[in-house]
Amino acid sequence: MSEASIIGLFVFTIRFAVLLYLAALGEVIAERAGVLNLGVEGMMAMGAVSGFLVGLETGNPWLALIAGIIVGALTSGLHALLSVVLGADQVVSGLALTIFGLALAAFIGKDKVGTPPEGTFEPLPVPGLSEIPWVGEIFFQQPPVVYLTALAGLGAWYVLNRTRVGLGLRAAGESAATADAAGHSVVGLRVGAVMVGGAFAGASGAYLSLSLAPGWTEGMTAGRGWIAVALVIFGAWSPGRAALGALLFGATLALEPRLQTFGVDISPILLSMLPYLLTIAALLLLSIRSRNRPSPAPAAIGIPYRREER
Amino acid sequence: MKRPVLVRRDRVLPGSQAFAFVAGLVVALLFGAILLIASGHDPIEVYGRMWSSSFGSTNGLGRTFNRAVPLALAGLAVAIAGTMGLWNIGAEGQILAGALGAAWVARIGETWSSPALITAMLVAGTIAGLVWALGPALAKAGLGVNEIITTLMLNEVAVRVVRYLLNGAWKDPASLNFPVAPKLPEAARLPGLFGRAHLGVVIALVVIALVAVVVNRSAWGYELRIAGSSGPAAAYAGISLKRKILTVLLVSGAIAGLGGAIELTGNAERITEGISNGYGFAGIIVAALALMRPWAIPAVAVVFGAVQVGGSSIQTLGVPASVADILQALILAGALIAGVLMAYRVRWVSTRAQDPSGDGLEAVAGV
Repeated sequence: MSEASIIGLFVFTIRFAVLLYLAALGEVIAERAGVLNLGVEGMMAMGAVSGFLVGLETGNPWLALIAGIIVGALTSGLHALLSVVLGADQVVSGLALTIFGLALAAFIGKDKVGTPPEGTFEPLPVPGLSEIPWVGEIFFQQPPVVYLTALAGLGAWYVLNRTRVGLGLRAAGESAATADAAGHSVVGLRVGAVMVGGAFAGASGAYLSLSLAPGWTEGMTAGRGWIAVALVIFGAWSPGRAALGALLFGATLALEPRLQTFGVDISPILLSMLPYLLTIAALLLLSIRSRNRPSPAPAAIGIPYRREER
Repeated sequence: MKRPVLVRRDRVLPGSQAFAFVAGLVVALLFGAILLIASGHDPIEVYGRMWSSSFGSTNGLGRTFNRAVPLALAGLAVAIAGTMGLWNIGAEGQILAGALGAAWVARIGETWSSPALITAMLVAGTIAGLVWALGPALAKAGLGVNEIITTLMLNEVAVRVVRYLLNGAWKDPASLNFPVAPKLPEAARLPGLFGRAHLGVVIALVVIALVAVVVNRSAWGYELRIAGSSGPAAAYAGISLKRKILTVLLVSGAIAGLGGAIELTGNAERITEGISNGYGFAGIIVAALALMRPWAIPAVAVVFGAVQVGGSSIQTLGVPASVADILQALILAGALIAGVLMAYRVRWVSTRAQDPSGDGLEAVAGV
């Protein structure tokens, strides 16, 4: 086990964590507003394909990332329309969004499968900090999206916990009628939260096709959207704890192709089950603990709100 | 200033869900046509090919029915849980487990007679689906753990169990580097019915009829529906919710598992990683369109089966098969929108006169 391979493991732990965390942050925001969105996988795929195509067209990774963000937000608009505006069941609508997004992404990108990518993100060493041995290599020689994700996590925490919009958003997720009575537009907040969530999932997808695994193939999201959904629960609906979960799950993804290098005689396929099993374990622990204290889950999650039908 | 408000109609319009489904189909086909035109295809030609390949011949109809079988059983699995207000999002994983269970029997029962082998495979698949639902069922009944997430997570675990077996112990030595299991022996193949259709069509219909009768006509089904509409009322009436949750989720998993076993012995010939083919997720849409009613499931499943068969047939025209998935999601979206528009009336109310309590709304709107 060489020093380079250990550093490589940590570098890719961060990179995979960013992929998962971006999508999970978006899901935290939507769920805190009371909307479960099981369409993460579909939104990620749409972000990935549009980011990749705009990268091919313009050669500019920033334009490509912005395209992924916009397309992710627009894709989530379908879920917002069906489940928030029309009050359809969130589970059905979200799963339909996953099917729709994966299929539409495959349809849009079919002629470009395997085309060499353009306008990908290159690592951007942070002056000074990147010189530090180990720490510099692991944290400060990453693509720019990695640094932005750290800022996005702080920003999401701040907006959710320290601003009036965040307060209204959390109220919409805990007790929609109360938020309504306090003068917030529940539908407006929830549509906004779902679409901001879609923007984050789209960013995650574009980061996948422009930085982590540059290129486009059908199904390249490979179930990572489901891990992001899991992370929200694992992180107890908090941006901070979700970040720790993202590092843990990111480590399992980074370790998968490296197990044999490290001389561990376990199938990487078995390792890849770990995030899902850990999430189930976390859910069990949460429910055992919450016998004595309130559950961290937003109380109104999954319940459509119509003022006229309270 | 006026704003639109949705007001629920006093009574449900007759046949409204059937109408919503058809409206959803029309909306999906229209959106699909726009997409096809934008990508340089002729929608009439594409839809014509989809129609003729799925309904235009006996063989095509058989293929459509074969596809409808796992869709209908997955839909039924979701629907029976949904009757009680539970979500089994894990049909995808339970189908895989059912297929694995059936395949395992085929591995050990090589010398058995064909009817015995096939029966044992179907039973094993049913049990395997039940076992795959056991964890979420116990956790929900015992600890109140959200079944949506546990069943969903186990889908991803099931895919990886299949991947693990296909890359190791169950790999076909003749397949070179492809992770597929060996083909099933002829004795393990479900007999045909007509054209390409296999006996699974009949089995699925019998199971659906059985569940429909139990849900609609038995005391057990009555309690299930009570529990679904109001948990506290059911508990007050002396219905054990915990036991109901446990049995319903196990039955749900068993039905999906049977679907996986039928797909293996009737259609797939061998275990592959893609054997479930998204049936579990599409089944959720099927159940939603059928409003969780067992007897409505076959019709929806046949339409979805046809869309999928049609989707594979248009690849020769250079159109990707993903069109089928796009259409399925759009049918649901269109039907949801149509359903809301039929269950509600749009009223324009003055924003100034609105009463935050909502109580005075109808008076303001002049109802």
